Amino acid sequence: MALMEVKHAAFTYDQKRMILEDVNFTVEEGEILCIVGPNGCGKSTLIDCILGLNKLKSGQILVDGENLANLKPREFAEHVAYVPQGHKTTFAYTVLDVVTMGRTYAARMFAPPGEEEKAIARDALKQVGLEGFEDREYTKLSGGELQLVIIARAIAQQSRLMVMDEPTAHLDFTHELTVMEVIADLVKKKKRSIIMATHFLNQAYYLENAGVNTKVALFSGKNFARMGRPSEVLTEENLEQTFQIITEIVNDGSGVRKYILPLHNKR
Amino acid sequence: MLIALPLCFFIGAICVGRYYVSPAEVVQSFWMAISGTDMGIDDQTFSVVMNLRFPRALQGLLVGASLAVSGACFQSLFRNPLVSRGMLGVSNGAGFGAALSILLFNSMVMTSLFSFGFGVLAVILAYLVGKVSGGTPTITLVLGGTIIQSIFSALLSLLKYIADPYSELPAITFWLMGGMGSTETRELIFSSIPMLIGIIGMVLFRWRLNVLSMGDREAKTLGLNVGLNKGIVIGFATLATAGAVCISGVIGWVGLVVPHMCRMVIGSDNKWLVPAAISIGACFMVFVDTICRTITGAEIPLGIVTAIVGGPFFIYLLKKTKGSNW
Repeated sequence: MALMEVKHAAFTYDQKRMILEDVNFTVEEGEILCIVGPNGCGKSTLIDCILGLNKLKSGQILVDGENLANLKPREFAEHVAYVPQGHKTTFAYTVLDVVTMGRTYAARMFAPPGEEEKAIARDALKQVGLEGFEDREYTKLSGGELQLVIIARAIAQQSRLMVMDEPTAHLDFTHELTVMEVIADLVKKKKRSIIMATHFLNQAYYLENAGVNTKVALFSGKNFARMGRPSEVLTEENLEQTFQIITEIVNDGSGVRKYILPLHNKR
Repeated sequence: MLIALPLCFFIGAICVGRYYVSPAEVVQSFWMAISGTDMGIDDQTFSVVMNLRFPRALQGLLVGASLAVSGACFQSLFRNPLVSRGMLGVSNGAGFGAALSILLFNSMVMTSLFSFGFGVLAVILAYLVGKVSGGTPTITLVLGGTIIQSIFSALLSLLKYIADPYSELPAITFWLMGGMGSTETRELIFSSIPMLIGIIGMVLFRWRLNVLSMGDREAKTLGLNVGLNKGIVIGFATLATAGAVCISGVIGWVGLVVPHMCRMVIGSDNKWLVPAAISIGACFMVFVDTICRTITGAEIPLGIVTAIVGGPFFIYLLKKTKGSNW
């Protein structure tokens, strides 16, 4: 059964202008769906819909076969973990405390999480390469480290599907690559599934090049104009249509790894 | 430590005063009151300890704990370190209720009841104002609270304006400055119920407060029913605050600064912060109240001394910890 199935989803904020109309997709186990599209196309709105924060106007979202609208937050968190774009810190919790919050849905009524939950959190930190950060205050981390902590929190949730909203926004080169490696690892080795909104089109190619089961959905208008493998969807023609840019798809020396080379705006 | 410290302050506060009682005599009096056996304490000492100072120190503990822990909870809930327990209008509502009752009845018990009722009412109104379709986002809740606060403070000014300037106006003003001198035992018993319920509730919810302080979106996707949990925490904090304010008047400072003192010392994790705020808030209030009633012949209003004593101590902590843990 698909981990998530979206059927004919439609959404509007004001009952007049439709933001989403007839959006359809499924996410199976062990695959990543990259949602790309220009600014303001409705990516974030769609993310809010599949997180249950926006109520659909019509259509259906099934999470592991169950209607999202009927799931309690606790049940939803068991199935889907969320990595927000740009987490804002307020209070100086320790890294381990923050990651342990991923276990919220599993905690009993009033009991703070015990050693078992902390062990899961430590393991999640190890997966993102932040061993030894447990007792640091998470307000004092760099942007890249903070993002990895938030990803670790989602890993600790142990849900089979993760939703990431621009996970590499504002990160430097090194941390972007670290995040992408963590993502590739999660999908390939841990058989998790990911839905990821991104502005970096080459990330879809990066994942495909790394042998990850990758789908990319090209957002245009009110729904996906194209969906499929990166090499099928992210073609020079499609990019010109959606983003109004002239590009060239280039190979590296081996002839296998592909990347988009942006040339200039179409004018 | 968190239990021992308030206990020391509690017993210490009972000892100190115009009529000095030694700690041993205090403990003996307690034992006498509990077990009924004669410990050889003279009647006067026993009466001072059990009838005068014991209820007052107990009130100090409860009020301090309530105000501090509510402040700590609101800060986490609103993700804002500058928020205090009055955020949703409970203090202004309670002040208005008290003034109204002073004008209408001139009875201490009615004043407590009215201030409690209006304190709770103000929060309910603020909550309803802040509730927009599908949830209570922090910003609308804060706006709702601010609006309700100003409405009640305007109404309070109106009452002050029409009050009799020789009898009622001073009564209102003194009530607003806060104090524990005039509380009757039955009022204390009545108000301790909401305070205890509120405090215990917040202790139970302390771990969830951490998650709620991540913001609505994230708390929800982490598996919390945000609206429900927020409502419950606000409910507990309001019970505790209204219970405290209705017998002690509006005591500023404690709800804002004691949580910060605790943050500096113990960190922001609500698992520890909530018990610490209870403990330190209780100590602080008992200490300040003791100063209020001993330093001069007449009582100084509590609200004045909290700031005068707390301010320098806060500055000391700020310099000492260099503002870390924020």
